[in-house]
Amino acid sequence: MFKELDPILHSQLRLAVMSLLISVKEAEFTFIREKTNSSAGNLSVQVQKLKEAGYIEVNKQFKDNYPQTTCKVTPKGIGAFENYVKALQEYLQVGKQ
Amino acid sequence: MAREEQQLTEQESLRLITDMIQKAKKSYYDTGISPLLWGSAVFIASFVTYLQQEFDYKLPFDIWLIVLFAIIPQIVINIRESKFRKFRSHNDIAVDAIWIVYAATLFGLIIYQNVVPAVTVKLINAEGWQMMKHSIINSSVDEPLRPFAPSITSIFILVYAFPTLATGVIKQFRPMIVGAVITYGLFIISCFTENKYDMLLSAITALVCWFIPGIILRKSYLKQKKGNV
Repeated sequence: MFKELDPILHSQLRLAVMSLLISVKEAEFTFIREKTNSSAGNLSVQVQKLKEAGYIEVNKQFKDNYPQTTCKVTPKGIGAFENYVKALQEYLQVGKQ
Repeated sequence: MAREEQQLTEQESLRLITDMIQKAKKSYYDTGISPLLWGSAVFIASFVTYLQQEFDYKLPFDIWLIVLFAIIPQIVINIRESKFRKFRSHNDIAVDAIWIVYAATLFGLIIYQNVVPAVTVKLINAEGWQMMKHSIINSSVDEPLRPFAPSITSIFILVYAFPTLATGVIKQFRPMIVGAVITYGLFIISCFTENKYDMLLSAITALVCWFIPGIILRKSYLKQKKGNV
């Protein structure tokens, strides 16, 4: 039986954010926005959803008198991402057969 | 293209994951300034020390102070780079840890080099004996000998190779791996040579470990920067 694809991750922007954050230790909001080609508003909403799911940590601070938001994946987020990729592989294996 | 909320197929999901991981990898940059700085400082200090010994000339100051003073621009570089850095990779954390351990090791080795001989003299004098220089060629009178760490530069060369190889392997940066491998060879050679030539080998180490990889990194950084304009 197929594992259900995690609805939190199975969305284009949220998956893009998680894929980016899984590759780094932490990243600034502006970096994520630049790499995902998204608008600040849309990205904020999706980041908030990932945060509420406990998949990422969002840290807001001031750097050189400017607000800086950094995001990093939590252990729960890593587990969810791994499960998502495993589920994807299962779907694709069946598709090949 | 803005990424809106839209349903993905399995293939699209997988493509998106690969695409974003590649983007993160390509975002990594190293300005190459730090390896250039340390490569130059250690090269100048080692080579000038070699020249001083070869031509029996002594500068009015210790040339190795240049390495100490290199810490100041390094701090400025770190502050500047941290301002522009928008992310930290797992590799950055590992490489930083390696260079901190390297700096601590080097600091310890410098203390060892400067403290142990004087302490050894005191300890053996307290036991009621001293080390003497006895010539086996002629019948000159024996002279008291200050203990010293034989071929200490060989140890420094060995220590230079460690963070370079680790950084090269972690970042998959071949010039640093090659530099470190050459340095291990130079370490073996230095075990058989006198201190004067060890300094020459130390200068070569600075070039192959840091200066040449630094030039390569700098070129690739400038090329990448030009491409982004």
